[in-house]
Amino acid sequence: MTADPSSRNLRRSLGIVAVGLLGILIILSVLPESVTGLDPVRQDTRLVLAPPGTENHLLGCDFLGRDNLARLIKGSGVSLAIGLSVGILSTLFGMLWGLFSGYAGGFSDLFLMRVLEVWYALPELLIATILMLVLGHGIVAVIVALSIGGWMGVARVVRAETLKIREQAYLEAARSIGVPPARLLSRHFLPNLVPVLLVLLLFRIPGGILGESTLSFLGLGLSPPASSWGTLVNEGWKALPLAPWVLAFPALMIVLALLAFQWTAERAGERWSR
Amino acid sequence: MKRLAYRLVGSVILVWSVFTLTFFLSRLAPGNPFQGDRKLPPEIMRTLLSYYHLDRPLPVQYWEALKKTAEGDWGSSFKNPGVSVSDVIGKALPVSITLGSVAFFASLVIALSLGLWIARSKEPMTSVLRSLTSVWVALPSFLLASVLIEFLAVKLPLFPPALWEGWRSIVLPALAMSIAPAGYLARIFATSLKDTFQSPFYQAARGRGISSFRLVVAHGVAPSLNAVVAILGPLSASFLTGSFVVESIFAIPGIGRVFVLSVMNRDYPLIMGTTLVYTFLLVGMTLVGDVLGEWLDPRVRAI
Repeated sequence: MTADPSSRNLRRSLGIVAVGLLGILIILSVLPESVTGLDPVRQDTRLVLAPPGTENHLLGCDFLGRDNLARLIKGSGVSLAIGLSVGILSTLFGMLWGLFSGYAGGFSDLFLMRVLEVWYALPELLIATILMLVLGHGIVAVIVALSIGGWMGVARVVRAETLKIREQAYLEAARSIGVPPARLLSRHFLPNLVPVLLVLLLFRIPGGILGESTLSFLGLGLSPPASSWGTLVNEGWKALPLAPWVLAFPALMIVLALLAFQWTAERAGERWSR
Repeated sequence: MKRLAYRLVGSVILVWSVFTLTFFLSRLAPGNPFQGDRKLPPEIMRTLLSYYHLDRPLPVQYWEALKKTAEGDWGSSFKNPGVSVSDVIGKALPVSITLGSVAFFASLVIALSLGLWIARSKEPMTSVLRSLTSVWVALPSFLLASVLIEFLAVKLPLFPPALWEGWRSIVLPALAMSIAPAGYLARIFATSLKDTFQSPFYQAARGRGISSFRLVVAHGVAPSLNAVVAILGPLSASFLTGSFVVESIFAIPGIGRVFVLSVMNRDYPLIMGTTLVYTFLLVGMTLVGDVLGEWLDPRVRAI
């Protein structure tokens, strides 16, 4: 990257904004239900599609008269939890695959890479959608489907990094004094992979969030009355001509969350890849 | 030539693996396609299952399906008896390909101009434009589609909000599909252009004093295109994903919508058919990307 100081400052402030946004999102998602004092599934037929600013209902109500803010807080928790779980699971799985492939080398490497290529050719959402057939429509199903759909990129990067580490002088030194493989992995490979893994994780989390919201929006992910950003957007979309605000708030949350994670990941990538 | 043969074998294995995975995953799913809104008497259910050979052991079913699929007989839809999968796909595919190509060229034009702009601009403009592209990448297509419909079809009725009638109905879905890939592509193109601008051959061409238009196009853009071409495969994947969402929203009778509906209905033959068509498209696009890449950039050929 360029060493131009004004550009560096700009990037740095963008990074701070992104991390700040992340903090706000996380706080919002762990707020207890009692903050609004309203039950996210309680329906009030007199308040169907009430606009924002209605008494007691800061963000208005949805098509069944449920409080939008209460549903949004609950949905944020669910969506972020799904994104985080998908991120961690797919990063872990990809790490194991890539690490083993790169470390073992030879035939196992060749075999694992061919299998990987098969998976890699398919879009995450196609795999996840077909998996949803088997797994049902719960939160765990969505997490598993998206994790199996999206670990391949991680495996590729981890393998490349592992190959790089294998060529380092310190590794040759360690090996030549007879350090056993398990210790090589835990003391030499893993610590050196940590920065890369963190960046990959930060990129995978928004992938999980986007995947969940797309699946749920299409009606293939979580099903009502569960709330997540995807299901909220789906409901908002149905009410769009009458009450655009029902769509607007969860939509805003998705875009903010994706941007916050992406910017943080990019910034982290720049800092740690030196 | 040898590499091409290798690639071909790889593609066949890919298609076969996708077939196998889809087959077993859809059969593992609880329930069967006839457990629907109405409860069927057990004897009718048995007849239906045996008519479609769904009562046989799985390996037998697998072998039969594999043989038939390879012969080109993709069976008929469970939900609409008598309608063959090939017919459904034959009707839906041209729609999706039309929409997909328009969206693809739109995103290419947007991405190339934006990428060139980013690479030639100075700070802070570069950072502003780069942030813009990351906003585009982060914009889910279903949101963009909803916003486009709300503003350009409902509030300001310039384009139809849904369906597939005439060229006007292509504009909004194509736009909704092309923005995110355009952002992604523009970033990659800009990075590649920047490298090219600093390379010795570019500086030499510049030193010779040729016109700035020729300099940028022939010595800057052309060698930087290989980065764009190299991601044609992954890019076509993002258009596929886009097609699920956008076709469902705009009620466009394309492959994406057929796929989503067939998953909802557990229409096995149709799920299999659409998934295979997707795989063919992906394999084809990746291959085209590689061949184009070699033709555009002699450096790739040497390896």
